[in-house]
Amino acid sequence: MVEVYGLYTATVLGAVALFMMMPRRGYNPRKIGAFLAAATLGGLWLYLGRTLFQRDDLGVASAAMPYYYIFSFIGLTAAVRVITHTQPVYSALWFVMVVLASAGMFLLLGAEFVAFGMVIIYGGAILVTYVFVIMLAAQSEEAAEAGEDDPKSRSTEYERVAREPALAIVAGFLLLATLLNVAFRPMVPNPAARGLTAKEITQGIPAGEGVAGQPRILNADRRAAAGVLEGVDEKTKKRIASVVHADEVENVELVGIELFRGNPLGLELAGVILLVSLIGAVVIARQRGSLD
Amino acid sequence: MNYPLDSLALSHFLLTGAVLFALGLIGFITRRNMIIMFLCTEMMFQGVVITLVAFSRFHMNAGGQTFVIFVLTIAAAEAALALGLVVLLFRRKRTLDAQAWSAMRD
Repeated sequence: MVEVYGLYTATVLGAVALFMMMPRRGYNPRKIGAFLAAATLGGLWLYLGRTLFQRDDLGVASAAMPYYYIFSFIGLTAAVRVITHTQPVYSALWFVMVVLASAGMFLLLGAEFVAFGMVIIYGGAILVTYVFVIMLAAQSEEAAEAGEDDPKSRSTEYERVAREPALAIVAGFLLLATLLNVAFRPMVPNPAARGLTAKEITQGIPAGEGVAGQPRILNADRRAAAGVLEGVDEKTKKRIASVVHADEVENVELVGIELFRGNPLGLELAGVILLVSLIGAVVIARQRGSLD
Repeated sequence: MNYPLDSLALSHFLLTGAVLFALGLIGFITRRNMIIMFLCTEMMFQGVVITLVAFSRFHMNAGGQTFVIFVLTIAAAEAALALGLVVLLFRRKRTLDAQAWSAMRD
């Protein structure tokens, strides 16, 4: 019960911090807000470390742990900058940072295909479209006028003042508190659905679904672990040795098989959606607005 | 039941995903620039994708990663359509302020 109150305290602190960082007229206590937000995040992580369960272990090499904290910190900082920056181009560039950081986290999770797909499609294609449209639309007279007397604030009035920040933050952080409640006490494994033996349940170690009883290790982890074999204790060496003879399936193969064997209809529908949106975009773009 | 872990757990990634989603939601409500509002929906997608991949790893099942590809498809379609609409609206009123269109409620 105490854990829940700590979680709510952290959520409230985060909400206050974000409220301080929101763009508004007059005094902006941005630095204090940033410090408070970083402290809250650190507190949440410390807290997370205390409430973890062995059964939630993802089987990622423990050497990867600092990288999670680095990527997560970069991603969340960039996300805050996306919603608080007063210039849209910089918001878009910070969003590229969010995408890169989450791609790093996908690599930690052994999902190489998704990681590179994210960087190429999100960071490459979608974000370029956004920046292009921002460039196309942002050259308004209002911004130019604002920039004349103060070159530092070359952004329009509607960029510099957030709309209803207090209400939005209350709504967002209520949602966050609910989600974190689940995230900090995730998934009670359903023994019937996963076919665990009584011994496994008492030990709290879930078996991987692919190879029964094998530890949850992917090829990527195996290669990473093989690279740092010196200074590894006997137990870990045995663990690595136990999966050397498992079937070699790369992540791309795995996703491809699942995609084309498991979801042929979904794949076709995705193609149709892309075609429809292509036609729709052309039709919308060709309409003439009143150009004055 | 409760003992310290020295490696990554599902909760780590759920935390990051949840915070990204909430930040995207807040950004969607508070930002007044229509382009950035849609950028914030993309950020909510990012939070969902992190959660999906983490669950995919947790269950050692590629279904989550497969679903990410569909999310990407929808994100791309949304970007194309939404940005087309934004450009259209910008041509009408010469501003990206979403509140310029609040008269629509009348």
